[in-house]
Amino acid sequence: MTALALRSLRHRPAAAVATFMAALLGTALMASFATLVESALSAHDDDRELLIIMGGIVGGWAALIVLFSVASTVGIVAGQRTREAGLLRTIGATPRQVRALIVYEAGVVALLAASAGAVVASIGGPALFAALQRGDLITAASEYAGGPASLSTAAGAVVLVGTVAAGIASRRATGGPAAFSPRQAEVSALPLRRWRILVGGLLVAVGLASAVVTVTVTGKAGDAYAAMQTSGSASIVVGVGLATLAPGLLRLLATPLRPLLARSGSGHLAAANTTRRAHLLAGTLAPVIVLVSTAVGTLLMIGIDDRTLTAAGDPEGVGGTITMINSVVIGMICLFAAIMVVNAAVAVVAHRRTELDRLWRLGATAGQLRSSIVLEAAVVAFVGILLGLLGSTATAVPYAIVRQEGVVPDGQLWLPPLIALVAAALTIGAAWGAQRRSAR
Amino acid sequence: MADDTPALAVQGLTKRHGSGAGAVDALVGIDLAFARGTFTAVMGPSGSGKSTFLACVAGLERPTSGQVLIEGTDVTHWTEARRTRMRRDRIGFVFQDFSLIPYLTAAENVALPARLSGRRAQPEAIRTALARVGLENRAGHLPGALSGGQQQRVAVARALVTGPTVLLADEPTGALDSATARKVLQLLRAAVDDLGQTTVMVTHDPVAASYADDVVFLVDGRVGGRMAAPSVDAVAAQLAHLDQLTGVAR
Ligand SMILES: Nc1ncnc2c1ncn2[C@@H]1O[C@H](COP(=O)(O)OP(=O)(O)OP(=O)(O)O)[C@@H](O)[C@H]1O
Ligand SMILES: [Mg+2]
Repeated sequence: MTALALRSLRHRPAAAVATFMAALLGTALMASFATLVESALSAHDDDRELLIIMGGIVGGWAALIVLFSVASTVGIVAGQRTREAGLLRTIGATPRQVRALIVYEAGVVALLAASAGAVVASIGGPALFAALQRGDLITAASEYAGGPASLSTAAGAVVLVGTVAAGIASRRATGGPAAFSPRQAEVSALPLRRWRILVGGLLVAVGLASAVVTVTVTGKAGDAYAAMQTSGSASIVVGVGLATLAPGLLRLLATPLRPLLARSGSGHLAAANTTRRAHLLAGTLAPVIVLVSTAVGTLLMIGIDDRTLTAAGDPEGVGGTITMINSVVIGMICLFAAIMVVNAAVAVVAHRRTELDRLWRLGATAGQLRSSIVLEAAVVAFVGILLGLLGSTATAVPYAIVRQEGVVPDGQLWLPPLIALVAAALTIGAAWGAQRRSAR
Repeated sequence: MADDTPALAVQGLTKRHGSGAGAVDALVGIDLAFARGTFTAVMGPSGSGKSTFLACVAGLERPTSGQVLIEGTDVTHWTEARRTRMRRDRIGFVFQDFSLIPYLTAAENVALPARLSGRRAQPEAIRTALARVGLENRAGHLPGALSGGQQQRVAVARALVTGPTVLLADEPTGALDSATARKVLQLLRAAVDDLGQTTVMVTHDPVAASYADDVVFLVDGRVGGRMAAPSVDAVAAQLAHLDQLTGVAR
């Protein structure tokens, strides 16, 4: 099985690249924050709290997004193995063997990528620490003390989540009948698993709870940053929760768009795909929701903070620096989320070569294939932006209320449309680029 | 257009895969004509160029030289887009792997050629086409919920619904058991007899070939013989002979 796994990896570089990218960048981001927590242990007393907040809380937001992205990407890739899994089983491989193959493959790629990511973080961590020191957020008395412990913990978490996600997805891939060819086995559009609904619902509930806590508890606390700690995570957690429910939500929300699309031949294909194959396209939808929800929610929060901190009585006189550092850190998290949008869109479209080829043989022109893929991506982007904006209110609204701006923030209202535009451009652009390679 | 123009003809059809030392001559100067309303089986040893022949005729591949004439019109040098439209409107296709689109229902699969042409599918025509293959009560099923034979019958309905000039079938029964295969072959035969559908079918199976009016044998990319009113035994004997010939040649 090991030899088979390695050989199959060599023949499926596109799939391996998607997992590799997510695990590499994810570990780099997550482990950089983790080094701050490790540094906090030996830091000067004055600095400990800030390092823990930055490394633990903001780092925790990053970790949530990273681990979700890794699991989601591995899920896309493993789900694409259904056909091959059926084939292997017809020649006598047991479902267990096939699952082991898929898990082993994901594990090897994740391990290599996470190791490389830890190396990147061993440079990124000190850089982050130095930036905090330059901004006078931590004193010169403390020293960077990140090391193997934090780096390997972050890398280990990524590998573990990637492997577990592959295990779950592989059950689905081997769930079908052993013989595939006459039935064109494909993961059929099963309803969402109950555990998935449970996890998604729970995350949304947790996010909403932190929104409520922000308004009722932390917003009234003396510390001006207490509200930020509870509020910042809300849109991220709600976003990840909605993304967990992505297949069901896509089916639900794309259905009303069908008549609109069905006017042209390519729109007809796109409409059928987004509804009947929501479980495949959800792989692209999930990162769009996470990106929009995170970026809009947290960036609005930073904007509100910047406008109102002086009025809130900037207790330590470091507001400007915190805004700057926050922007950089959140910017990095958003950049990661944006890359994941492209990563997933490419992985999903790249797998559709056979199907595009089949349509072409039946007389679909290259232009029709292109526009059907682009329309599909547009539907995914539209639904993702809608849900992402919804998720972002979990942070933006409570924080605006707490800082006395009312339900709608007073400024930066250009931000949501801008992020929406970026998300749409990334989703559609990536699908466009990928279909150029997979169509002939 | 004179009535005796063949539905499909090829002249000097040659196809070379690759170039230089590794080049393979899949077709070497094939001349064939297929009269309207006839059912022809194309047979030959593995690698003799049967699939390549169909791909060239359908415009999936461009021949290295020679011509493909559909109702007397030379389509060989048409642009990719124009050949694609020609395929959609004038050629019906049935493949060994059924080639249904997995996320479209049986009825939607049958309606696909019309949808791709930008026409609204005529529900009546779709229903008739599905009824012709005995699947009117499976219209709303996705391919995954149909048996192999049912899927292939949907593919036959889809190939016939546009009233194509030529129906091309590449081992349409290759993935089916013999009872299911018989059903599909009867459908193809009925299309020829009832609708005057010109049909060209590649097959390895002497039983399948016996449903045709004529058999053309390909050997190493050349026409190696013809047989009218083929019987199962005669075809099997001829195939065994050809296999021997190519075995010696290699
Ligand atoms: N894309 C290709 N590149 C190179 N050679 C090819 C290609 N496609 C086919 N060939 C070669 O052309 C020859 C004819 O192939 P073709 O697929 O037409 O055979 P066939 O008669 O359909 O065989 P079978 O009965 O096994 O399906 C073979 O020698 C094959 O190896
Ligand atoms: Mg063939």
